[in-house]
Amino acid sequence: MKNLLIASLALALSTGVALAQELPQKDSKWFTDAQAKIQEMVARQPITKRAKNVILFTADGNGVGTNYAVRLFSGQQAGLLGSEYVQPQETFPNLALVKTYTTNGQTPDSAPTASAMNTGVKSKNTMINVDETIAVNDCANMAGHELKTFAELASEAGKSVGVISTARLTHATPAGVYAKTVNRNWEDNTGLPEDCTNQTDIASQLINQMKAGVIDIAMGGGRRHFIPTDFTDGEGKTGKRTDGHNLVEEAQAAGVQFAWGDEDFAKLKLDGSPVLGLFESSHMKYEYDRAGEPSLAEMTEATIKALQNNENGYYISIEAGRVDHANHDGNLHRVLTDGKAFADAIALADELTDDEDTLIIVTADHEHAIAFNGYCGRGSPITGLCYDIDDAGVKHTNEPKKGKDGKAYTVAGYLNGAGSVLKEDQQWTGSRPELTNEQAMDPDYLQQALIPMSSETHSGEDVAVMAKGPWAHLFDGVIEQNYIFHVMNYAVNAK
Amino acid sequence: MNRRQFVLGALGCPAIATASVLAFADDTTKLRDLYNKDLSFSDYALEREGQRVSISGFMAPPLKAETKFFVLTNRPLAVCPFCETEAEWPDDILAIYSKRIIEVISFNTRIVSRGRLELGTYTDPETRFVSRVRLVDAVYERA
Repeated sequence: MKNLLIASLALALSTGVALAQELPQKDSKWFTDAQAKIQEMVARQPITKRAKNVILFTADGNGVGTNYAVRLFSGQQAGLLGSEYVQPQETFPNLALVKTYTTNGQTPDSAPTASAMNTGVKSKNTMINVDETIAVNDCANMAGHELKTFAELASEAGKSVGVISTARLTHATPAGVYAKTVNRNWEDNTGLPEDCTNQTDIASQLINQMKAGVIDIAMGGGRRHFIPTDFTDGEGKTGKRTDGHNLVEEAQAAGVQFAWGDEDFAKLKLDGSPVLGLFESSHMKYEYDRAGEPSLAEMTEATIKALQNNENGYYISIEAGRVDHANHDGNLHRVLTDGKAFADAIALADELTDDEDTLIIVTADHEHAIAFNGYCGRGSPITGLCYDIDDAGVKHTNEPKKGKDGKAYTVAGYLNGAGSVLKEDQQWTGSRPELTNEQAMDPDYLQQALIPMSSETHSGEDVAVMAKGPWAHLFDGVIEQNYIFHVMNYAVNAK
Repeated sequence: MNRRQFVLGALGCPAIATASVLAFADDTTKLRDLYNKDLSFSDYALEREGQRVSISGFMAPPLKAETKFFVLTNRPLAVCPFCETEAEWPDDILAIYSKRIIEVISFNTRIVSRGRLELGTYTDPETRFVSRVRLVDAVYERA
């Protein structure tokens, strides 16, 4: 009986006869869209050629919840109700949930998470590309415990390597591409203990890797960690280095092109020759505040165009580094505008590359303590108030939902952080203020939070990984974060 | 009504008592309105140089106790332990030189500060703090 059922099912699908013909709902767009999706999925074929290129997109702090908020924001900006919007990475065929815990952190930070993706193993919080047996700050014992990185493997295979971030280039996620350190905070020589000889500071390691030909293009912020305290840069800011080294000048002397603003960025020769872009003294600006420096999409385009000159291909790590920072600030508006800029960079990379030879992976390193309220009607502005559901229609009723305290509340909030309603100068008491939609949607507004903290925290919950291209189908189910390295490594070595 | 208003009112100066409240309400603007996107001073700032203005923002945790100086920020200054190893000032801040020793208000409680607007780079001789824009002879209260 079972075999007969399976046979008739197969026949029905293969002849394209919809099972829907008996169903009253068969003409609903929901139904027909889903039927089309079924056909697309049944016809889908994995790409099993060798990957020539790998692009790893990471939006720091952009877990499933944060990504959801970016989706709604982008949809609402486009004039839609929000939920129905599809971000570019959400069209990718392959998806897995990623477990982001580290060897000692139920809640991770960006250092071991970047390490996991770049080396294939998990390690401790605060450390970058050093194995889990070594303690934080233990420079003395780190020799022999450094991990080999995907960038090093790619470079040995003749590929070019690029690293891009809107955070400082010496910050954890970009540093995970090229550095090995027992403390992620050793961004310049001032952090390094005097007796530490087994490693140099992170900025020095980047320049050394560029001179060694492992890293070809590096673009981001963090200029102050490359220049001395007595040197004033083009934006009138001094550096942090106290060892007398101006790493920018040293890089230029070694033949690396240097850019620090959008004017010289536009003049870069994008022929695959080495480029160092340091566009801010510290982190680059939030997308909402950006002026005078390239966007993530512009840096992505420049790097792809430069490195596609290498017939052996490339590995590029591209980070939207400040979705995380805006979450730490409790300022959802800047989270979302940076998240949208991340999606724009992905769309552009997809356009510039070929699915048949380029594996594109989109993920986050960890999530934040962000949460969402209900019961909101469609079109409730994601940074604004939760409006009531219209029992007779589609869009919300324009009536804000109220808590038991009689006050309106926003769709999104945080469990902790600077938006806490409990204030130190009121002996950690407080109550929710009256709130208008106009106040909540102000770009500088901090959504309400509960536990008072000077900075909102990460969370340990799963993030998503979305992928397309050769061997992207190896992403499925619920995976450990370090598995991401293994997919990249398998894809570039496949026969 | 704050204590000063009550005392002034009791002394028979109700006009002064109420005037200070009205003054804060009329022309208060947000700190961000002093800057353009490229961090040059806005027309609003340039037109009011040397005048008393009323600016709304947040008091960053003071650098030391018993001081007449604090920094006003546009958004509450969240100090992220992973992002910075030391407190980092945003580019768009306002240095406040208060008339009196300051009483600390939580970094995430909105305040309004009124003082004379000074534009231009200045290095505080005592703290070496460098500011591009300041309110001097300033007073402040919760918004």
